[in-house]
Amino acid sequence: MSAAQPHLLPHIPTLMPLGDSALVVKYADRFDLHANRAAIAMAGLLEARHVPGVLEVVPNLVSVLVRFDPTETRFGAVAGEIRLLASLNRTKGGTPQRHRLRVRFGADEGPDLGAVANMVGMTPEAFIAAHNAAPLRVLATGFAPGFVYCGIHEEPLHLPRRTDVRPSVPAGSVIFAAGQTAIAATPIPTGWHVIGRTDFRNFDPDADPPTRMRPGDAVTFEAVS
Amino acid sequence: MTTLIVERAGPLATVQDLGRPGMLAHGISASGPMDRDGFVRAEMEAGRACGAAIECASSGIVFRIEGGPVHIGFAGGVFTAKRNGVPLDWPGGVIAEDGDLIDVSAGPRGNYGYIRFDREIDVPLVLGSRATNATVGLGGFEGRALAAGDRIALGPLIGERPVAEMSADQGQGTEPIRFIWGLHADLFSAALRQRFLSARFVVTARMDRMGVRLEDAEKVFADHRILTLVSDAVVAGDIQILGDGTPIVLMRDHQPTGGYPRIGTIISADLDRFAQTRPGTSVIFQSVTVDRARNTLVERRRA
Repeated sequence: MSAAQPHLLPHIPTLMPLGDSALVVKYADRFDLHANRAAIAMAGLLEARHVPGVLEVVPNLVSVLVRFDPTETRFGAVAGEIRLLASLNRTKGGTPQRHRLRVRFGADEGPDLGAVANMVGMTPEAFIAAHNAAPLRVLATGFAPGFVYCGIHEEPLHLPRRTDVRPSVPAGSVIFAAGQTAIAATPIPTGWHVIGRTDFRNFDPDADPPTRMRPGDAVTFEAVS
Repeated sequence: MTTLIVERAGPLATVQDLGRPGMLAHGISASGPMDRDGFVRAEMEAGRACGAAIECASSGIVFRIEGGPVHIGFAGGVFTAKRNGVPLDWPGGVIAEDGDLIDVSAGPRGNYGYIRFDREIDVPLVLGSRATNATVGLGGFEGRALAAGDRIALGPLIGERPVAEMSADQGQGTEPIRFIWGLHADLFSAALRQRFLSARFVVTARMDRMGVRLEDAEKVFADHRILTLVSDAVVAGDIQILGDGTPIVLMRDHQPTGGYPRIGTIISADLDRFAQTRPGTSVIFQSVTVDRARNTLVERRRA
């Protein structure tokens, strides 16, 4: 588990119980794009498989949560199915959707834009251009209703979080840290840099499903004024 | 038409049904009763099929019945319930009439009480459930805790449906809280894990539907240093350790993912009992295997 240990075979997951009614299929100990892709692929396979007793399959950044009814099945039975799927080395899942996101960068809605541009050694305009240059992938969901992590940016755009946490940023906030851009669909607390805001809301409790962006989808950011 | 007119409500009185599982990928935890056992038992006490519950915390709730009659069941912990000032049994049931004033306040035991009616609480289904997640403003009565002045309509009689069968009483809460070593147990030294098993932790008043803070009186985690972890799945019952060493048990309105290390997860069969543990009470954690936790749950359901 040391930091220096490379992920030699990230497609071979570790299976760990999370309480008596769930397990985690873990592909890495830290963020890793290959692990992220493997987790999303495994979630797709598991959803298609309809394993008896499994109630919910949720991909996260580098792992998959599998909730099951322990009175219907056992950890070992679910783990066996997952190991089988992992060994098949197949992928499955819906076609990734493409989303275009119109963002107002900077000013009151993106108060950290200037500081972020400064830290990466760019003008705000150059930062926005670099940020929007290529589509990002939705890496994970789940932190809050409709919240999505997108990434991963090129190395020069990687910044740590802020040292302090804002207790609440508004819905639609576009936030930036750790080589990722995330979009809040509801008010959330965050230690990430707030660089802009969008009118898009990836959460509608009256819709089925209530969110539109799924892990693996492509997101293109567009600056609007 | 029967309506409940709330005259006084503590900050944690909410509408709850069995919750909305299956929404974690959308960023929504399942919510539902803090004490599922108490929730089910309240229907038994009503003696009739019931709808969603009003879950109240130790700050209680007072409401007047308009319309009726309505069968009411009370359970979860031991609260003090009165009708028009006259004490009622808890757990217990009553048939309330038009104009009756029902007053539920803290009693000798427990943090969460359940009040259920033989009618559905007429709030909209949100993502398949009437449960309130007040943290994200979803479900229940306008997405929030109940407050004085609220008028809560009850629907028609639910009618014939088998009343839930009940398992055995879960006891007084003095036994150890059983848990399964967690996702990040290996990040804690063997010596620290050994101390975790023998130390007493004290439940604090800093508790809500998201989590319960524990006081680490024996300073088991005092020297624990924050680790930056990749955000990963969270489930109710997870025992997470904050950067300053504070242990928090995550409860029904938990965030679906989190980045703090989790040393263990309380087993399903003990989570209701933990939720009912009063502030100031000390708890001891006892590790069990996944199989043992499963067997305990299966036996509980059969009982």
